Amino acid sequence: MKKILICLALCLCLLPLGATAEFDAASFAGATLNVYNWGEYVDMSVIRAFEKEYNVKVNYKTFGSNEELYIQTKAEESWDVMVPSDYMIERLIKEGKLQPIDKKIVDNLDQLAEGVRNLGFDPDNTYSVPYFWQTVGIVYDTTEIPREEMEAQGWEAFRNPAYAGHAYMYDSSRDAFMVAEKALGYSANTTDEAEIEAANAWLQDMHRNLKPSYVTDEVIDSMAEGLKWMALVYSGDAAYILSENEDMAYCTPYQGTNVAVDAMVIPANAKNPELANVFIRYMLGYEASLANSTEVGYASANAQALAELSGPGGEYEGNEAYLPRMGYEKDEVFVDLPAEWQSRQPDLWERIKIQ
Amino acid sequence: MKSFFRMSYPYILWIALFIVAPMLMILLYAVTRSGNGTITFHFTLENFARFLSDPTFLKVLWTSLRIALITTVVCILIGYPAALFIANLPEKRQTLMILLLTLPMWINMLLKTYAWRGILMNFEIESEIKVFIGMVYDFLPYMIIQIHTAIAKLDRELLTAAYDLGANRGKAFLKVTLPLSVPGIISGITLVFLPAVSSFVIPKLLGGGNYVLIGNLIETYFLVAGDWNFGSAISLIMALIIIGSMYLTKKLDTGAEEE
Repeated sequence: MKKILICLALCLCLLPLGATAEFDAASFAGATLNVYNWGEYVDMSVIRAFEKEYNVKVNYKTFGSNEELYIQTKAEESWDVMVPSDYMIERLIKEGKLQPIDKKIVDNLDQLAEGVRNLGFDPDNTYSVPYFWQTVGIVYDTTEIPREEMEAQGWEAFRNPAYAGHAYMYDSSRDAFMVAEKALGYSANTTDEAEIEAANAWLQDMHRNLKPSYVTDEVIDSMAEGLKWMALVYSGDAAYILSENEDMAYCTPYQGTNVAVDAMVIPANAKNPELANVFIRYMLGYEASLANSTEVGYASANAQALAELSGPGGEYEGNEAYLPRMGYEKDEVFVDLPAEWQSRQPDLWERIKIQ
Repeated sequence: MKSFFRMSYPYILWIALFIVAPMLMILLYAVTRSGNGTITFHFTLENFARFLSDPTFLKVLWTSLRIALITTVVCILIGYPAALFIANLPEKRQTLMILLLTLPMWINMLLKTYAWRGILMNFEIESEIKVFIGMVYDFLPYMIIQIHTAIAKLDRELLTAAYDLGANRGKAFLKVTLPLSVPGIISGITLVFLPAVSSFVIPKLLGGGNYVLIGNLIETYFLVAGDWNFGSAISLIMALIIIGSMYLTKKLDTGAEEE
């Protein structure tokens, strides 16, 4: 009897061990993992630590836009882990270009933060595991535009002639149309002809009234230096700008905005899917998440890391841009637009800028 | 002779693979509609019609040409006196000056442009002027070197002859030096104008994001809109303009030599 009890006790002790992921870490020795991620989106020491722990080599390459990534999926080269955004993941799922996550290996999905659970494009994480997430908002100089003034205007600040010549607009058709559509009270995923027409007119107004400079990543340094009064930025970049320049503030417009989620996926033609799953599990883990988010400034998908960094004593305590707004009903995740719109939106956007 | 020709095979292969083949691909994309199968093509000219019939696109084309043109003219205006000055220095000094001129060309163009961005950020000047400062800075050495080569190989005896025949310095310059240095100016134009038309990094970085140039358009239609057919058509129009201006300058060049 006693023996049986001891046995049971031992089994109980082993249970947590038995519940850990099912893979043989030693079997990966010498393997190469091809990872395709956004530029400046990782703490490289995390990658080095992973390589050391599993005795593998990570071939880490970066890209600048989802469209660039999409072209890569048509290319011959195969990737084991990619980190596309929400709408692109939806498209890749639709086209059958992804393989399911092995939840026996990625057994730590319960660590996902509340804001990145049950997302429309992949509700039960069949194909994707969130990495970073963010909102789109306005960084502004509180010495030029008072807080109440900005909060009261929200997106309409982008049509306010009083700020003419003092604004940066992010040069991306999808984000620009999101701003206009949200300002007008539409969905950021609309394909309604009349609504698009109205959004197009709204953006033409913006171009005329605000005379913004159209920029991409250079907006981060420029706003940190305080060159202009306001700019459209992702909250993760805003967190960096706010930590560099204390005059800057971040406004998540009351009209609602885009919540963007970048998630890790495994392409169908991955050469090393098992190791890819192990990598995803590792990156979602608390330690890797904490290091990555601290380094990059984007909101972590790991609940514990997110709470620690934004909480008392954390790296981003009091930084209003770090923790994205959660549970606001007007906020939306992008869905994949129909093919016709994928080419029409950029076309309209170029014309607005050329005017 | 034949064996020498054989030695060029690797180069011909290189050209065929990396220059001719992609150009043919662009041509194929430009004259077809999207949704090509592997075997079926829908040939069309509507990509070109779409570009040429649209005032917004023509405006972009005009802006690109205008920026390139002004850059070239300013390069000649600054470059010619500079080249003349250098050519009149003692031989040893000339080598040094040319070396100094070429030094900045060893630095990556992006780095130089970012440096200019930092410098010009502190001044309240029109963004267009900033663009020209950056463009002229980047392309000026090509112009000076070309003109300098032309002037340096000029036979000094011709000037002495002109003075003997009673010409003053000004007249000698106008009648002898200038006409004989035209080939230098022309190859300078080729080296400045052509890259300037297609350059879009400098206007983008120094112009504060207020310019849409032909290079930006091509990028957008390829990478963002995924409309490779239209993007190819724009590239092809661009290529035609470049070939056209090369032909024109060549013609000017031979015309000048015949005189």
